[in-house]
Amino acid sequence: MSAPPDSNFRLEQACASDDSIQQVHAQLLKTKPEKTDGYSMFPLVLLGLMCTAVFFGSIYLAHYSLRFDPLVYNEHASREKPGAVKIVPLTRVQLGKKVFDLTCVTCHQASGLGQAGLYPPLVDSEWALGSEERIIRIVLHGLNGLIKVKGTEFNNVMAPLGETLKDEQIANVLSYVRGTWGNAAPEVQPETVARVRAETAGRKAFWTAPELLTIGN
Amino acid sequence: MTSPDHSDRTEQMEIDTSAKWPVLFFFGSALLWLLLGGALQLIAALKLHLPGFLSTCEWSTYGRVAPAAQNALVYGWGMNAAFGFGLWLMARLSATTLRHGGWLFVALKFWNIGVTLGVLGILGGYSTSFELLEMPRFVTLILLASYALIGAWSVTTFSIRNTENVFASQWYLFGAAFWFPWLYALAQVMLLKAPVRGALQPVVNAWYVHGLYGLWFMPVALAAAYYFLPKILGKPIVNYYLAPLAFWWLVVTTAFAGGSRLIGAPVPVWIPTLGAVGNYMLVVPIVIIALNLFGTVSGRYRALGGSLTLRFILVSMVGFVLASVLNLALSMRGFVQIVQFTLFTELRDWLIFYACFSTAMFGAAYFILPRLTEREWRSPLLVKAHIGATVLGGLLLTAGLAYAGWHQGHLLNNSAVEFVDVTKAMLPWFAFRTAGLVLLFTGHVAFFINFVFLACPINSKNTAVAVFRDPPNMSLGPQPPVGHSLKGVGP
Repeated sequence: MSAPPDSNFRLEQACASDDSIQQVHAQLLKTKPEKTDGYSMFPLVLLGLMCTAVFFGSIYLAHYSLRFDPLVYNEHASREKPGAVKIVPLTRVQLGKKVFDLTCVTCHQASGLGQAGLYPPLVDSEWALGSEERIIRIVLHGLNGLIKVKGTEFNNVMAPLGETLKDEQIANVLSYVRGTWGNAAPEVQPETVARVRAETAGRKAFWTAPELLTIGN
Repeated sequence: MTSPDHSDRTEQMEIDTSAKWPVLFFFGSALLWLLLGGALQLIAALKLHLPGFLSTCEWSTYGRVAPAAQNALVYGWGMNAAFGFGLWLMARLSATTLRHGGWLFVALKFWNIGVTLGVLGILGGYSTSFELLEMPRFVTLILLASYALIGAWSVTTFSIRNTENVFASQWYLFGAAFWFPWLYALAQVMLLKAPVRGALQPVVNAWYVHGLYGLWFMPVALAAAYYFLPKILGKPIVNYYLAPLAFWWLVVTTAFAGGSRLIGAPVPVWIPTLGAVGNYMLVVPIVIIALNLFGTVSGRYRALGGSLTLRFILVSMVGFVLASVLNLALSMRGFVQIVQFTLFTELRDWLIFYACFSTAMFGAAYFILPRLTEREWRSPLLVKAHIGATVLGGLLLTAGLAYAGWHQGHLLNNSAVEFVDVTKAMLPWFAFRTAGLVLLFTGHVAFFINFVFLACPINSKNTAVAVFRDPPNMSLGPQPPVGHSLKGVGP
């Protein structure tokens, strides 16, 4: 600049006319940038940047939008879909209720208290809570004759269920009896039922109380 | 390009004459608001470390002065300056005169009456509870009606253009002319006229505040940068073919980015997430725009010594990059956990509004106003004081607020530190902030005095008449080597 430096602060001279600025830039938009010698990394780097931004943005959005749920306010909330069916493992006690309700409830009642003078109670019963060897046998082959439960004598017949119920069902229903109404005896495993079934394979007759008392002591 | 330079110049003089009074008055009112808003801002800043200062009158309590200052600066200074600059540039690039300037005067009067009533309303205790929408409700209609006139003038000037081509600055100005009324009207309706339900209100407010900064002030600043770099350097924008991509990408993603202000707020979590993603996406246009602008200046830094406008535009470009980086950082949840509710979040808006937008307007004013009044700036000393104060104050405030905000955030997150101790630790930083604002204010006063010398008919008689050389035509040929760029410009 030929003018003294101070004059630049008094006045600003333009170095291009508006018209030419527009024409030149319009031309720059129409024509591709000049090819220089060698390979230019610039477009590739820019494309990479665009892809990275879109990719990262999408991942972030998918991860933290939480299905665009209007009721979720916390980005660390559970990502499960509401109403999704989740497999909850049930215990033998829970599974056994269905068998009990189909098979045992008529005599022993839903309350597990039985019927006074006819059917013995299961609640707090020394038989139900005692050796699993005995009660597995009762369910498998039935019971006949006098039996003393909680100081009361009962004389009735329980039908054999070994043909109708599978090992797993027997284990479940016994676990239910031993784990409900305040009862707190350990669960019965189907393997135990299978073993007892194999050991008593030849037996056809009902069990009696004195006979059972010799087992599982 | 074939037309002789001389007729270009006469044509441009005609445009400048037609734009003279409206644009001068827009810049004049903008400057008055800059001083008034700056004074209010200083009062509010002083109260943070001198709580007894002006505390006896309820008109000057912090809760009223702080929003009044922000509104005076944004709607008084920012909007008026953007109107003046935008209308002038639109007329220049459309190669058509600004017709029926009398209507613009009406709009200008009503806009400023509206802002005055609004600021008084806030000071009088009639403010609403929404950031940047604090002005009492009746003011809205005045502002929207006067904006409708101003916006219509800008759009009409564009539509009767005498040019074949449209330049990048025009995209940004044309777009901003539509985005502001959309943002403002919708926010008013959804927050004050027919309020949406509670949890949605901060969402609308954040969308508006982010949009006002990102889709009004930033585009206007970019329009200035895209125009003045080729205008003063005589060199086309580098990699200009990428500019349309940056424009569209910027517009679309900024519209979604507002939610990022609500990270950690009690709103559905997808809203801040979408906002953060919008801000991540902004990396692409920001890189392109930075390449466009810095690439153009690159190799021509010597021209900075000769051009004041270029210096301010460069400050604005740095402000743009810093504001964008901060915006990105404030979309990271881990970072926000530390700096939210500290001086750091204030820095974000200050960088966009002051460091990026306001400095661009200063640069534009130093270029435009002598062309309108055909007078030179009288005092180079005051000009130097202005740019010096802006650069120094800007650096100090940026570094100071960033460090203090970081420190404050760590103290606030430490449950072993009592709240009162956090405030005590921040006292020197509040004083530092006041000092920075005083520095900037000094620069504004210097600018205002020079403006009065230039534009006020009584004072301007002693100011030298400006003589403008005919600008040469830009060509697409090989660029002159570094250092020779301005040699061909002689009269």
